[in-house]
Amino acid sequence: MFQNIQVQKEIIANIRTKPWPIRRKLKVLKQAREIVLKYEGRLTRTRGYQAAGADLLKKISRVLYNIVVLFIPWEMRIKKIESHFGSGVASYFIFLRWLFGINIVLTIMTGAFIVLPELLAGPPFGTTRSKTIPKDHLASAQDLDTIWSLGGYLQYSVLFYGYYGNVRKIGSAGYRLPLAYFMVGMAVFAYSFITLLRKMAKNSRMSLSGASDENYTFCWRVFCAWDYLIGNPEAAESKGAAIVNSIRVSISCIQQTQINLSLAVLISLRILANILVLLSLTGSIYIIYFVVDRSQKLEQEKPELTLWEKNEVSVVVSLITMIAPSAFELVAQLEMYHPRTSLRFQLARVLVLYLGNLYSLIIALLDKVNSMSSAVRNLSDSTSYLATISQSTEDNLSTIIPDITERQNSTLTRTLLEMQSLLNQTVLYEYNTRSQQDPCWETYVGQEMLKLSIIDMIFTVASILLIDFIRGLVVRYLSDCCCWDLESNFPEYGEFKIAENVLHLIYNQGMIWMGAFFSPCLPAFNVLKLVGLMYLRSWAVLTCNVPHQQVFRASRSNNFYLTMLLFMLFLCMLPTIFAIVRYRPSQYCGPFSGQEKIYDIISETIANDFPLWFSKVMSYVTSPVVVLPALLLLFMLIYYLQSIARSLKVTNSQLRLQLQTVSYSKLNIIMMYFTHLQAPEGGDKKPEQESDITSMESSARSTSPPRRNGSITNFESPVRHGNSIRTITQSASRPDIPRAAGATQSPTHTYPCHMLHSLISRHSGYLGSTSGSCRSKSYHNMAYKPCTRYAENSDPLFRKTLRPMHTEPAVITAQSYVGHRAHSTRYVIINEHEARKKLMRSNTRIPRHYRLADEPTEIVELYPRNVKCYIPRPPHRSHQPHLSEEEEEEDPKSSTRRGSFRQSKRPRPLSDLHQTAGFYIGDTINSQLSMEQGLYSDEEEGDQEEDWVNDPQTNIRGPESAHRYGEPYVKPKTKHKVEPSLTESDSASLASSSDQQNSSTDQYIQVIHNKKKYLKSNAKLTKTKSKSSVKLNVSGTNDLVCSNV
Amino acid sequence: MGNKQTIFTDEQLDAYQDCTFFTRKEILRLHGRYHELAPHLVPMDYTNDPDVKIPLALIVNMPELKENPFRNRIVESFSEDGQGNLSFNDFVDMFSVLSEMAPRELKAIFAFKIYDFNVDNYICKEDLEKTLNKLTKEELTPEEVNLVCEKAIEEADLDGDNKLSFADFENMISRAPDFLRPFWTAQLCLTDHMIERDRKVFGSDTATQAADSNVGIRALILLDAEHKMGRQ
Repeated sequence: MFQNIQVQKEIIANIRTKPWPIRRKLKVLKQAREIVLKYEGRLTRTRGYQAAGADLLKKISRVLYNIVVLFIPWEMRIKKIESHFGSGVASYFIFLRWLFGINIVLTIMTGAFIVLPELLAGPPFGTTRSKTIPKDHLASAQDLDTIWSLGGYLQYSVLFYGYYGNVRKIGSAGYRLPLAYFMVGMAVFAYSFITLLRKMAKNSRMSLSGASDENYTFCWRVFCAWDYLIGNPEAAESKGAAIVNSIRVSISCIQQTQINLSLAVLISLRILANILVLLSLTGSIYIIYFVVDRSQKLEQEKPELTLWEKNEVSVVVSLITMIAPSAFELVAQLEMYHPRTSLRFQLARVLVLYLGNLYSLIIALLDKVNSMSSAVRNLSDSTSYLATISQSTEDNLSTIIPDITERQNSTLTRTLLEMQSLLNQTVLYEYNTRSQQDPCWETYVGQEMLKLSIIDMIFTVASILLIDFIRGLVVRYLSDCCCWDLESNFPEYGEFKIAENVLHLIYNQGMIWMGAFFSPCLPAFNVLKLVGLMYLRSWAVLTCNVPHQQVFRASRSNNFYLTMLLFMLFLCMLPTIFAIVRYRPSQYCGPFSGQEKIYDIISETIANDFPLWFSKVMSYVTSPVVVLPALLLLFMLIYYLQSIARSLKVTNSQLRLQLQTVSYSKLNIIMMYFTHLQAPEGGDKKPEQESDITSMESSARSTSPPRRNGSITNFESPVRHGNSIRTITQSASRPDIPRAAGATQSPTHTYPCHMLHSLISRHSGYLGSTSGSCRSKSYHNMAYKPCTRYAENSDPLFRKTLRPMHTEPAVITAQSYVGHRAHSTRYVIINEHEARKKLMRSNTRIPRHYRLADEPTEIVELYPRNVKCYIPRPPHRSHQPHLSEEEEEEDPKSSTRRGSFRQSKRPRPLSDLHQTAGFYIGDTINSQLSMEQGLYSDEEEGDQEEDWVNDPQTNIRGPESAHRYGEPYVKPKTKHKVEPSLTESDSASLASSSDQQNSSTDQYIQVIHNKKKYLKSNAKLTKTKSKSSVKLNVSGTNDLVCSNV
Repeated sequence: MGNKQTIFTDEQLDAYQDCTFFTRKEILRLHGRYHELAPHLVPMDYTNDPDVKIPLALIVNMPELKENPFRNRIVESFSEDGQGNLSFNDFVDMFSVLSEMAPRELKAIFAFKIYDFNVDNYICKEDLEKTLNKLTKEELTPEEVNLVCEKAIEEADLDGDNKLSFADFENMISRAPDFLRPFWTAQLCLTDHMIERDRKVFGSDTATQAADSNVGIRALILLDAEHKMGRQ
């Protein structure tokens, strides 16, 4: 019972995924619910608690989930954009949000571990040298342009590296700020790497199926092209345009005759384009370098810099990042690649450009740093040098003077004086510079980065406003008074270029990573920036953008952006790491001042603050003895994993290949098998059959009108019976007899034969080799599972319904049956094809069929079920009565079919059998499915037609397909005469021992048609392939269940 | 939207919840939308299962479907009579299948139905042509359409009968990297006030986590329709 309830629950849980019409779902659900309700109470209490607990857990998790979802920012906004512009554009915003999340974490890290401790526990502003503004700067420290260029008060604040003190421990708790600074700096990178990689892994896991080859280009173009999220007419239009575009492109790919320019011209054009791009790349790099250099010089030459001169570097960099992509785009038009390739090129170029910018900037900066620190070194050197020099010159002068002639003397003194003044100048200057800017190169780099970030933001905002918004306004309102259509021709509306915008985000993030070490507040600033960008962009997109025409197939490049981001992260990490490792930290500012190298903090901490053994261990660990093997091990591991990955890839591709070949070979097998079958069978049948029968058959087999009658006659053909019977009896009787013990009587014997026969005829539609095994299997089942269900509930039912109808004693019918047997056995074999169609058609046909089949004395039920399910299940028993009752109740409602049955004198049994059978039928493949089936059958007797059409088994295919591949569901049509008699004879015993399995002698045969999933497709194929052969249609594995009741 | 008891019984709501991918609230909102389509037809009281159907023309004008080239087919294939008249049950069913929660297999089945214009259980060339023409708004030349149709059939037709059976279709679709996730997920806005305010704006409610397979940047947290609902 528990099982049953489980099954019912599964039904309830899974019903939503069934492709049935909802009415049916509701019905089935109701049924299942009732059963659960009815029987759940009988289960133990603990189970009830368990269930309640599970429910509670589910609810709680839902609530939690709800809460979590609450905190997803901008969800509505993104959805809105998504619904207007499709998922491509929305992906940009989702990426933005993801970056936002990362930056939040970075901000928290730096804020909590660096900035806050420094603010709270560090020495306050103005107490130490690194925290005070030099006197001569104090006046201008509050000027807007100083602040603007991040000088003055800003320079000496927590924003930058230089502000942090180098005291080992600060505050009463002894917070090791320098150590924390270093660790956080590294953790920023580590965290970014880890999240990025995890994200990528997740993505690639999710897009596993997407590794497919381009087998179905056109199909995908057609069937998967539309973005069902689009709801905005403009987006729809551009999506349509994109689809047309992509289809054209793939057509041209096939035709490969699209190039209307000569190859030479094209190649030269492309070379030219590449040269242009290269030129602009080098140009941009040079400009940046030049600008940095110039600013350096300017700083040295001029005491006071103008606003422009202070921001020159970042403005130039931002300008380049803004303008160059458009330039590249123009250049790309020269190349005449097809859109996707050109988009790829464009992306690659832009990425290179961004990287080049960042790199040249940082290199120039570091160069400056280099010169600065050397200047500092020189300063100390040069003072002494100067002293010596001036001394020596003095000496020289004094010593030399007497020796030289007047003339010489005059010139020499002049030169010497010049020299001296020059030297003095330089000394002065150097002192000057030193006092002017505390040579804190870390702060300087951080300043530049932050400046760059700010300027970049300004430029982005400006470009959104100007290029998108103003342009949009102009286009919209001036198009009337302009001589050409502004909306469709030249200026148009700004396009939202997803790929480039995402690249820009990546670039921005790269800046953050690069500068985060030198300016701990950079991530915080970036968070603000991203928030602003999110609002501005989404507003701009909704108001004044049209979606990009060539939609970048983002889904394809699932990890494309992330890969770029990873690339960026790595490359941005390098300079920072380089600076940390290579340069000496500034002497008078920052947490690492006074150290030789920044990373010395670690070794120092280990040496001083950890117990001795730890530093010992560390020294061992870091010694080459350990490091080298560890490295080796790592390499080995990498190699190993890589080789595994490679082999997996190979297996993967092989499996895919196999799948392919299977799908093709399936076809072949079916074909072969089809031809194979046709030959012998056709030969057997034809001679003996009457002409009309054959014609009937042919009509039945022919695809077009699947007439019931035709198929029946076909089955009736005596010759075939004979053949099959022979074979069957041999195989079948063997298992049957021993099991059945004495119970088997002559009628029973014959029954199996017939059943088997019918079975076999069904099986013939089956592959030779498999059919054998199947048969034996099915018999086996038959033998030991004698239809307990059947016995139980069918009996009462039979009695009720049949008795009135069949007044004759069983014996007579049996005899008559025996007599008939040779020639008049009727098979209700429904091949799937027929059944399907028939079911589809009106009910009226069925009665006819029944009439035809009336005489036969056999009951054959064909069920497309797995035999296994047949195995007696305890829970079912309990159901049965209940169900049957229900049935009864429902009876009046039952459809015309029922009526027809009655006419043909077999009203009840059919339905009963049907129902019961349905019930037994447990799981074919999915237990739930079959269960539903069972349920279903009870529930909707009247509607059988519908039901069967939508039979659960086929529901994977969908209701529609159900007709086609429909179940070889056979209603038990022909057998009733025999049955009633049998039931009657055995009824007493049955009644007494309803539960016992083998008690009755009645025989009921169910043919269970076991259709496996894969076979389904097979069947389908067969059907389509070989419509002419009825048998093929049956190709699924058919299992027979003969049950003795 | 009023008290839920006045529209559905708890039992009904539970049944709908089990049969679809919607939550109680969403179902109520769906009913709101349904009611909105034809206020004079649809009663507010659904406790006794009134037999009301809304014709195709009204449903197709929903903003969720308005731009969809296959809107008529979608509605038709979900209607019980095949004519496009949707009862509330069908209506719920339709959006359930179109919602992002519906599994790929389920969607494939209905996708096949939708593309099968002449309801012969095969996607034949005419179906494909119709599909293409709807998709591209007939911008392709007949030759191009022809070529594409032929190619498509050639690609996906495993059994060589020159039309696509469901098996073919499913096989093809199952390999498509980006089918059914972003695509094939129609968005349903259940927030009526939003609709009132701006008919263009829809979306947002029935979560369509479409974008994840797009840039592959799945939102930080996966959303699920009902939870979004809860948020509002």
